[in-house]
Amino acid sequence: MSEKTSRQEQVVSFDSNVYSLIAVKKAAYRFIDLFAANIELGEREIVCRLHFTQPRSEEGCLRAVDEFRKEALDQDLRERIKAETEPVRNLILAHAFSKTGIVGDEQVPKD
Amino acid sequence: MSKFQKIEFYKSPKAEYRLLPFRFTPLDDSRHVLTNLAGEYLLASRATVEDLVNHRLDKTSASYVDLRSRHFLVDDDTSVAPELLAIKVRTSYVRLAEFTGLHIFVVSLRCEHSCPYCQVSRQSEDKGKFDMSPEIASASLDLTFRSPSKNIKIEFQGGEPLLNVDLIKFIVIEAEKRNKTAGKNLAFVIATNLALVTKEILAFCRQHAILISTSLDGPESLHNKNRPRPGGNSHQRAIEGIALVRQELGRDQVSALMTTTEASLGQVEAIVDEYLKHGFSGIFFRPLSPYGFAIKTKTYRAYNADRWLEFYKQGLEYIIDLNRRGIEFVEYHAATVLAKMLTNDDPGFVDLMSPAGMAIAAVVYNYDGSVYASDESRMLAEMGEERFKLGDVLEDSYEAIFSSPSLLEPLEESFAYSVPMCNDCAFEPFCGADPVFHYGLQKDYVGRKPESEFCHRNMTVFKYLIRRMEEDSFVKRLFTKWGTR
Amino acid sequence: MLKLHGKLPVISATQGRPYLVTLTKNQSLPNALRAQRALLTTSNRVPDGYRAVFSRHFSPSSSSRTSDIFFISGDYDYLDEGDIVRIDPDTGSMRTLYRHGSAHNTILLTEQCNNYCLMCSQPPKDHDDSWLLKEAMQLVSLMPSSTERIGFSGGEPTLYGRGLIDLLALTKRNLPRTAVDVLSNGRSFKDFAFAKAYREVGHPNLTIGIPVYSDDAVRHDYVVQAKGAFDETIQGILNLKKVNQRVEIRVVIHKQTIDRLVQTCEFIARNLLFVDHVALMGLEITGFTRANLDSLWIDPFEYKDILSEAVQVLAAYGLNISVYNHQLCVVNADIAPYYRKSISDWKNELVEECSGCLKQGECGGFFSSSKMYRYSDNIKPIVS
Repeated sequence: MSEKTSRQEQVVSFDSNVYSLIAVKKAAYRFIDLFAANIELGEREIVCRLHFTQPRSEEGCLRAVDEFRKEALDQDLRERIKAETEPVRNLILAHAFSKTGIVGDEQVPKD
Repeated sequence: MSKFQKIEFYKSPKAEYRLLPFRFTPLDDSRHVLTNLAGEYLLASRATVEDLVNHRLDKTSASYVDLRSRHFLVDDDTSVAPELLAIKVRTSYVRLAEFTGLHIFVVSLRCEHSCPYCQVSRQSEDKGKFDMSPEIASASLDLTFRSPSKNIKIEFQGGEPLLNVDLIKFIVIEAEKRNKTAGKNLAFVIATNLALVTKEILAFCRQHAILISTSLDGPESLHNKNRPRPGGNSHQRAIEGIALVRQELGRDQVSALMTTTEASLGQVEAIVDEYLKHGFSGIFFRPLSPYGFAIKTKTYRAYNADRWLEFYKQGLEYIIDLNRRGIEFVEYHAATVLAKMLTNDDPGFVDLMSPAGMAIAAVVYNYDGSVYASDESRMLAEMGEERFKLGDVLEDSYEAIFSSPSLLEPLEESFAYSVPMCNDCAFEPFCGADPVFHYGLQKDYVGRKPESEFCHRNMTVFKYLIRRMEEDSFVKRLFTKWGTR
Repeated sequence: MLKLHGKLPVISATQGRPYLVTLTKNQSLPNALRAQRALLTTSNRVPDGYRAVFSRHFSPSSSSRTSDIFFISGDYDYLDEGDIVRIDPDTGSMRTLYRHGSAHNTILLTEQCNNYCLMCSQPPKDHDDSWLLKEAMQLVSLMPSSTERIGFSGGEPTLYGRGLIDLLALTKRNLPRTAVDVLSNGRSFKDFAFAKAYREVGHPNLTIGIPVYSDDAVRHDYVVQAKGAFDETIQGILNLKKVNQRVEIRVVIHKQTIDRLVQTCEFIARNLLFVDHVALMGLEITGFTRANLDSLWIDPFEYKDILSEAVQVLAAYGLNISVYNHQLCVVNADIAPYYRKSISDWKNELVEECSGCLKQGECGGFFSSSKMYRYSDNIKPIVS
């Protein structure tokens, strides 16, 4: 059963204890070609009202919502893991560039 | 005698142990693959892993001793593991700081073949427009010798590089001149379809120890179908070329690479037979790259990862069987992965490196002076996506090029240890980051790994190699030989 | 088995301490050299001027007033020109310390040890035998510089600390072209300063042979009967490699080490790939081995496939390998490239089951002690 209106809306919420706001915003940005998102931060929830800019079937909207949820999880994890692994990542990248003379004051331990 | 103690005397009575860093991923329904900090793997049942992590593992169990001596846990009986792990991890990263070893010179974009999957557009006409100039070659050599790597390999590509053989000669002589002071281990390779090779060219190659790398896709019908040229005789020219190179340069001075296309699937044994027939001691099963004409002409979508995996497994089994029958023949993709699994050496294979191999392992100097972070980067640029262009040899310094945001950003973003799923994947030590591939397909340096053909393909190969080693001791011995070559 | 020591009847000798002397068979040695030599003679005349005379005659007529004269039986017929012995003039106690014609000269430096291996061929004794170190220093000053190779062993030679370093330095100065093998459990090198001191010797051809009996620390500690030995040994190996010294790893194969032999070799390949050599060794039935025979003995024929697998692992990783102390008929043909005839000539024999075997010349044979006490039930002549 499809419903085509020119201002279709879906409401998606995220538990703000689980998802970071920046992750949700980044996810919403990824779908900027499909929908305009209005994001509000409540007490315990991040509420997103998604307005689809092109006519779309109900099925299509729900699929987009699924993708949006996946993307939010992806972005949230990316953020956390990136922060947690920053020291190791910096160490290894610095080591990679250590002999190029480009990064001058790198403290790379000599063995 | 009473003065000798029993073995129990040497075990600490404390049942406690401490976990060392490790990751695990299911291999199948009953077993997990565990990898320690140095990327060494061990198989264990689900139950064992649960016990291990919950500190319930029994010290007298067989798995306990293995887990301890393979550096997955420490206890009061031995604490030398961390230092050994540190040495192994350091060893695996040593090569990284050598930095760029492979320098690809695209000396001409012209080519007389018209292969449908080719990433390089075929500009067959104007020499001036599509050939590299000596000035650009010279500036590219400046950058080449600026690399800290002790080993420098200069690879000539195209188009068909032999269409600009004068420039090849110029570059070789100029490089050797500069090397008198630079003192590098200098090597040269020409990647050519051999249709235009002559004795005169090979005499030059012999004089300067230049190796030849050519394409052999399989038996004649397949090869010619993949590689149309005027006269339709690409295969014949290749075979004749190979024979000539062997005669003029030596048996081992020519290597062959195959490209997998839709037409290749279903013919893997014939392809291997073709390599055997023409005296090669191994083959590298390559997946089809999604760049260039392949995407434009939809040949990439014509097959997906699963079909290629079937092709790969069938080919690998055929090769294993050959070895069982006493014929020594290597599958080089497996050998590369096995080197990462079974040793601490970094084979420096660009497609399976994290940080990504772009610029760190290889760099491309295009005919027009553009510098690309990798061959894939150049291919993407041919399709209109220039974001992996690092600069221009005539306008930009080494520092500007190799610290360009076009390089540093994808390197940092795609770092496998820092992205979801790769971060806790047991196979991450064997795998790599491929920001160019993921950008090409998912418009993102990282991509979503569950949706990534790169991830699916690699994980399947890793699991397959491990499973085969565990279930067949001949395969284990064979794969160990391959991985330690 | 050669008789390397015993008591010789003293015919006439000046009272004094034991001393080292080089042997000669030359009755007409220039006088200037005689005082530093001991004459081996079958004649009943004793020429003048030699430090000592070892005679096959019980009552040789002597014109010597200064030589110590001893009777020597046929048991010592192996002694030859250039050999060096220690002789005690008071008791006639003699020990052969160096044989010029042998490739296997090993000098015992001490019987003290901080391990207590179940299969120790030189059971530790806790007494001060530092005189052995002093004697070794004398010995290397007497040995000819043409000597190709010598070994220093114990007990645990590194217990001397600085003393061992001094001996190695002296050896380098006296025998600059002689290769030196030191046998040690490696534990003293966990102290990096000691590893550095060892490096300072700067010897051109020095290898240290260190046993690692298992990848399992507990099992290794059990075999060497010392808690914490595994960690110290591994740490010692790492330190030695940090200062670029040649290290050989030795694994003795018996019932307590066979179960994890393959894993042990995998451990070496993954963690100690930088070692210069790996020796896989069969059991010598001497010393403590006999006391612990029940828990140690396993017929090599039973483990030959495990041995092959272990060797293949090491070979795949490019390590230098030797297989010692096994007979050809109890190993698989695939270890041929690594098989060595290694048993010291003075204790190497064949058994009666060997008769008719075509490979006697290539085979490593048996330890004399194995022949006496225990060897494989599967010895069979190779006839084709």
